[in-house]
Amino acid sequence: MAKVIKNDKGALYQSTISRRESLKWLGVLSASALLPSLVGCDVNDKAVDVAKEAIKGHWPDLSLPPISVKGYGKDPDMIIPPSSPWPKTLSAEHLTLVAILADILVPRDGDVPSATEVNVPDVIDEWVSAPYKRQQDDRLTILSMLVWIDDESTLRFAKGFAGLSSVEQLMIMDDVAYHTDETPAQYKRVAAAFSRFRKLALAAFFCSPEGTKDLGYVGNVPIAGDYPGPTDEAMEHLNKALANLGLAL
Amino acid sequence: MMKDFDYQVVVVGSGAGGAMAAYTLAKAGHKVLMLEAGRDYDPKTETPMFKTNGQAPLMGAGNVDKDFGFYDATVDGGWTVPNEPYTTGKDSDFLWWRARMLGGRTNHWGRYSLRFSEHDFKGKSRDGLGADWPFEYQELAPWYDKTEALVGICGTNTGLDDMPDSAEGVLQPPPKPRVPELLVAAAAKKLGIPAVPMHRAVLTRPKDDRQACFYATPCGHGCSIGAAFQTTTSLIPMALATGNLKIITDAMVRKVDVDSKGKVNGLTYVDKKTSQDIKIPAKVVILAASACESARLLLNSKSEHHPNGLANSSMQVGRNIMDSTGTGLGAHIPALEGRPIYNEDGHTANHLFIPWWGHKSQTKGELDFPRGYHFELGTGFRAPGAGVSGDLQGYGKSLKEQAKKHYGAGVYLALRGEMLPNEHCYMEIDEAVRDKWGIPVAKFHWKWSEHELKQVEHGLKTAKAILETMGATFTEPLPSAEQAILKGGQIIHEVGSTRMGESPKESVTNQYGQTWDCDNVFVMDAGVFASNPHKNCTLTIMTLAMRNATWLAEQLTNGEL
Ligand SMILES: Cc1cc2nc3c(=O)[nH]c(=O)nc-3n(C[C@H](O)[C@H](O)[C@H](O)COP(=O)(O)OP(=O)(O)OC[C@H]3O[C@@H](n4cnc5c(N)ncnc54)[C@H](O)[C@@H]3O)c2cc1C
Ligand code: SF4
Repeated sequence: MAKVIKNDKGALYQSTISRRESLKWLGVLSASALLPSLVGCDVNDKAVDVAKEAIKGHWPDLSLPPISVKGYGKDPDMIIPPSSPWPKTLSAEHLTLVAILADILVPRDGDVPSATEVNVPDVIDEWVSAPYKRQQDDRLTILSMLVWIDDESTLRFAKGFAGLSSVEQLMIMDDVAYHTDETPAQYKRVAAAFSRFRKLALAAFFCSPEGTKDLGYVGNVPIAGDYPGPTDEAMEHLNKALANLGLAL
Repeated sequence: MMKDFDYQVVVVGSGAGGAMAAYTLAKAGHKVLMLEAGRDYDPKTETPMFKTNGQAPLMGAGNVDKDFGFYDATVDGGWTVPNEPYTTGKDSDFLWWRARMLGGRTNHWGRYSLRFSEHDFKGKSRDGLGADWPFEYQELAPWYDKTEALVGICGTNTGLDDMPDSAEGVLQPPPKPRVPELLVAAAAKKLGIPAVPMHRAVLTRPKDDRQACFYATPCGHGCSIGAAFQTTTSLIPMALATGNLKIITDAMVRKVDVDSKGKVNGLTYVDKKTSQDIKIPAKVVILAASACESARLLLNSKSEHHPNGLANSSMQVGRNIMDSTGTGLGAHIPALEGRPIYNEDGHTANHLFIPWWGHKSQTKGELDFPRGYHFELGTGFRAPGAGVSGDLQGYGKSLKEQAKKHYGAGVYLALRGEMLPNEHCYMEIDEAVRDKWGIPVAKFHWKWSEHELKQVEHGLKTAKAILETMGATFTEPLPSAEQAILKGGQIIHEVGSTRMGESPKESVTNQYGQTWDCDNVFVMDAGVFASNPHKNCTLTIMTLAMRNATWLAEQLTNGEL
């Protein structure tokens, strides 16, 4: 089972899916992920600047090289879909961060596995590594969000997000995981990006067999004879709803 | 290759129109050669039945390779076709969906199959707009019965003025409605609007070699058991079984050829496997390459005797293009939150829909637009995919709870309406651009008129009223009709490019799809439509193809052609 392994250096996401890895991100990110306003600051001024920075907000200006590999084309094998249609591109660090965030979003719940346990990070990796427009847009959004989270973590706790305690991680989460009218200005951008990530991670979870079961979807099974229609219980619920709305069939 | 097969008719295209024409002729004992630009395709072995989105790349989400999702049965097609571009005029938006495969778009169409009525065929007589069809509904009614019986349509006779009844025993029973559909029906009823069983080309009883639907697996993926109608599991194998049909796939027809007197005597196609041009003789040609491909072919078949393109002395080829209008409105319905879960797959599309209810108001002059529309419903406990609905916040247990609360609680009303032809909507040949085979491409021009915009405005208001009656609340104002109306072509009901009529002056073909200019050239796709009623076009394409191919068969038998 895929999982996040905690060790003294922090954590590492370990996938059960064998993937043709290409670790290009480290180089790209370390150059672009620097906090622009901190560059050139004297180490001594740091604490003061961090406070100011938190108010203004920060945002990594990533310039990502476009993904130029081919898609699966207009006539892919649909009976045996390609298991790895393009090279995955997340670095081990980012995959780990994705895994931690995904498990914060969807933790294990009794018998129901967590996001990471059903390989959600691999689905996200496949998504952000895809050559199509929508996915490339999401790639910028999500990678920026990941970098932001690590930057914020470094600013607040002088450590990457993976190295934080759960309490510290949740302190940051509580600032980014709500994207509403009340979201403070400095978190608006990351909260919007996090929303996108949240939907993707949740979708990936529900698409797994365990997640589908947890959601409650019971279709995709052949029925002999006529379609049975709603259950009695479902009809009872409907009838109550109709009564409340003043409607009748 | 065809030396030992003495065909009398060549059919171009294997979709709804072409397959029905070929089947009808083959059954009547005439030998038919079919040319299809796409590759061979076998739904029995190629359909991804029971595959989940989780097993597909990108959770099955669509993209430029597979516009409607990874499992969409469309092969080598979609909004773009590799190596086969098209262009649009200045300020014109037009989307052209094409499939390049045996069976064409019937492998993945929605299978909604509603009859046009007398009202629909005679719109111009009523309101002076567009064009009348050159026959009465009564003329077509028995052909609708025959087509519905052959294709296999589930639904009921509703007796509504917008839905002519089928003959007794023709329709198969429809599946039971689901909870959200019943709620829509109850809300609509309060507003005086009916919701009734949709008519769909889906078997609920076995027929020929085809099984009844087992209420699982989305029909857009194709249907390996043959329950959802596609020509590749029905008309084509049945026609092949007569021994009177031969098919050449990967055969892209370049032009229709004429002799020195201007009489059509053959076709030239590109064998896509070798890129070679192949010329074949033809006594009778049926074009069923889809409305705009057939028009493109005629326009590209210019010659000394046909300087404006073949069969185009009226200059109407490529004119009068219509699509359906499209828009929609959705909402979260609190009354559906947390409802008991059961299997809502059904035949995976509408069990109920809302037909056009406004005939009487229109007659009384209460509406400010001329033609009707219907609503298709989007609801249900769907198989999970790449999207999760709801304005989700936070993380952990509460996040999942929010998602589950939204699951199956959304309702979307999709409007499909009648458009009128107008002078700004047409296609021509873009001489400057050629496809991979060197064939000049189609260029589209498009502009919606006030009629469509007013209709869409009315539809949005009505949809809102229905959703509000179901308990939905709207915080945002409705979009304007200009913002809300989908692009030309986007509903994929393009018709009218070679319309039929009473006279060679104003139309391209007679009521049998026979071109006025060339008596051995027929059009048997939606190009011949004189108007585009809001009811999805394909049942009528097939009905006309059956009727007109039967007429052609008689002409051949009697030696008239
Ligand atoms: C997603 C989707 C949903 C739809 N839902 C509905 C619905 O619910 N109800 C409804 O009524 N309609 C629906 N439609 C529309 C329906 O599919 C079409 O109206 C119908 O298939 C048209 O039939 P046709 O024979 O004219 O063309 P097609 O089915 O497109 O077949 C034309 C064939 O001709 C071939 N061809 C084209 N050019 C050439 C050439 N030069 N040489 C040789 N072959 C050529 C093509 O490759 C193609 O196979 C839907 C369409 C789509 C895409
Ligand atoms: S829902 Fe029924 S008709 Fe549609 S593909 Fe599945 S089995 Fe075939």
